[in-house]
Amino acid sequence: MVEFKIFTKNEGAWSNADELLLCLNTGSWRSERPVMDRKKCNYCGLCALFCPTQCMTNMEDHFLPNLDYCKGCGTCAKECPKKVIRMVSEGEFHDQGKA
Amino acid sequence: MTSNKKKLSKVFDYLQGEDPFVGGLSFCAGCPLELLVRFVPRVLGRDIVIVGTPSCSATVMYGQNIGAWHNLSSLGCLMTGVASSATGISRYYRRTGKDITVVGFTGDGCAADVGFQTLSGAAERDENFIYICYDNEGYMNTGIQRSSTTPLGARTSTTPVGSARRGKETTGKNLPFIMAMHKISYAATATLSHLEDLAKKLLKAKEKKNQGFAFLHIFSPCPTGWGFGTDLSIEICRMAVKTHYYPLWEAERGRFRLTHKIKKPRPLSELVGMIGKFSHLRVEEMAALEKEVAERYALIEGMSQTIPLDETV
Amino acid sequence: MIKARHEGEIRTITGNAAAAYGAMLCRPDVVALYPITPQTEVVEQLSQFSSSGLLDAEMVEVEGENSAMNIVSAATMAGGRVFTATSSWGLAFMYDALLQASGLRAPVVMVNVNREMPGILAVSSGQQDMIATRDSGWIQIIAEDCQEILDLLIMAYRLAEDFEIQLPVMVNYDGFYLSYLSEGVNIPAREDVDAFLAPLKDQPERPKLVPGGPLACATHGIGEGFVELRYKHSAAMERAKRKFDQIDQLFGDFFGRSYGGQIEAYRMEDAEIALVTSGSASGTAKTVIDSKRGEGIKVGLVKLRMFRPFPRETLTEVLGGRKAIGVIDRSVCFGWNCGPIYMELRSLSPEIGLVPMLSFIDGLAGLDITRAHVESMIEKVHAASQGNPYQRVTWVNLEG
Repeated sequence: MVEFKIFTKNEGAWSNADELLLCLNTGSWRSERPVMDRKKCNYCGLCALFCPTQCMTNMEDHFLPNLDYCKGCGTCAKECPKKVIRMVSEGEFHDQGKA
Repeated sequence: MTSNKKKLSKVFDYLQGEDPFVGGLSFCAGCPLELLVRFVPRVLGRDIVIVGTPSCSATVMYGQNIGAWHNLSSLGCLMTGVASSATGISRYYRRTGKDITVVGFTGDGCAADVGFQTLSGAAERDENFIYICYDNEGYMNTGIQRSSTTPLGARTSTTPVGSARRGKETTGKNLPFIMAMHKISYAATATLSHLEDLAKKLLKAKEKKNQGFAFLHIFSPCPTGWGFGTDLSIEICRMAVKTHYYPLWEAERGRFRLTHKIKKPRPLSELVGMIGKFSHLRVEEMAALEKEVAERYALIEGMSQTIPLDETV
Repeated sequence: MIKARHEGEIRTITGNAAAAYGAMLCRPDVVALYPITPQTEVVEQLSQFSSSGLLDAEMVEVEGENSAMNIVSAATMAGGRVFTATSSWGLAFMYDALLQASGLRAPVVMVNVNREMPGILAVSSGQQDMIATRDSGWIQIIAEDCQEILDLLIMAYRLAEDFEIQLPVMVNYDGFYLSYLSEGVNIPAREDVDAFLAPLKDQPERPKLVPGGPLACATHGIGEGFVELRYKHSAAMERAKRKFDQIDQLFGDFFGRSYGGQIEAYRMEDAEIALVTSGSASGTAKTVIDSKRGEGIKVGLVKLRMFRPFPRETLTEVLGGRKAIGVIDRSVCFGWNCGPIYMELRSLSPEIGLVPMLSFIDGLAGLDITRAHVESMIEKVHAASQGNPYQRVTWVNLEG
């Protein structure tokens, strides 16, 4: 009988989300990030609805991207009807993506 | 002035519960499929079992060894086996008397090609589950190969453009129409620019699946494969509807309704001009594609008039 | 040991009907139906049972065998008991799903009515279909007569759903020979079958697909995670050998019919030479063995009931010390120019001794394995056991 590293608990290939959830550091992918001009925002939430990663946090009267996961795709900036959002190069920031 | 009035979009009302997926998923930046994957379970609710297959969605539907990317119940299958596995699960649960929603979730490669036989079989038997096909018009996960829904003339890695041959030589299958012709309980097309419409159709599918098969076809453009900027996915969905390229309709038992009548379509060139896979189209190739698009819209418009789905059905 | 409460009803039915009875008595939740000669009567009979109320199950008239296997595998992942039946081309069509079922460790029970595989169109008996899927990771067992078909099906559920096993089981029987042959079959009472399968309910629960999560099935196997699951699969197949013997014993105690588990040894106690067979031809072989014994040849028969996992240990024990062995195969091992069971038995040579082993390819395309054939085989094996030169492989249907 061989020694297992006990990767697997069952006979078949099952995962248990309560025991192990995986997550990628997708915030490290982007080359530009969304910057919000809060004064123009009318809280319609389209940026949050259309964000593919669904990383927008509801801040009661505006939305902010969670930079841990934002991939910098720019959809929010493109879709915002009030032009609240600009995509700014990551090179302009020195916080390594921590908001 | 109402321009700064703080009012959330109605679409938020359709979203119940938390996003069951983790924050960081391996989809390309700007991928509308990621939006769809996160949207569907929030609208349908948690009492679902998702049946997935190797595809762009597989990377998140399937866990790795014992880890998972989401906390939903799901089964990963073969491409040839999605509709049939979903049948097995839904039939078993039907027997136990529990009302659950089984959702087959695949791309066009599975639904229109290798898994088509089993999809057609399940539809003909009017099985009680929802089948969602996200159509990015190709086998994207394996590197942008053509599928049977790839449109006429499109460039893919297996229909490249050169001096001898120029893109796909046959027209794409009208998959949602073929499925509606099985006279299933509910068939509909939707896309990600029209989120409220998508949410309503998802909920309708959830209700209609109790009477029979429900098929949803979602237009889901691929920034990586089609060649457009990561920020343009939603705009392309919107343009596809406006140019008649992707008509939005629904059908119940073979009776049709156009849910978005576009009386004055924008020129197709406005859509095609945004998409890299069409950038090589010559005048006559563009004309052939325009003819296809016009006929496809006319077909649905005609069906909506001759075999209409009225509200009482 | 508790015995069955009822005698059972004896009816004259075909092998296919016996299979349908066996499945029906075990109360499957989901049944997938698709016709293919020579199995069609199985699904027809099951449909009759369903329409008359004898079988309360979800009957799915599928559009192809590939769907059939996916349907039943997924239904077991949701926690159900299932059944389906196929043959030859159908088995080939569901090949990807066969691998899926065993990889998922789905306790699917399926009947495969042996028929020649396509490539050369044949609507006739042969074991090529079973051989073509021997690496699918399924447990494969072979029935000799109609009673055994029914009994093996009941045992198959007990084996497949055993918590220590959790493997799909394929019950094979010769198409045309058994599928359409009518014999007197003792059909157990339903409540006795319920009682025999009841211990399965007392086991720990296997993981299931439950809406709301958090369990998800068929994850991607990466690195050692994949290897571990393969190893567990292999280990389960090893355990299945003894488990099958135990279940046969329990079945014998309960219903009064025991078969001997992985193999059957006939007149092997003092045998100098042995014939190895499987399936319905074994009956003919036994008759000829009796007659040859009368002539003074000490020949015995080893019938293979369990083909996968291969009964290494029991075969080594029963074949060890013989002077020569003949193996009858109703199929071909491509690339080795011999029969497949012969080829697998050859791998036991170091343990059973380096004795002459002769491969007889016979009974292909529904041609009978006749008494004359078997007599000739025994004579050849006997001659080899005396030190005479022998032919490694004989294509009996062509060479006689």
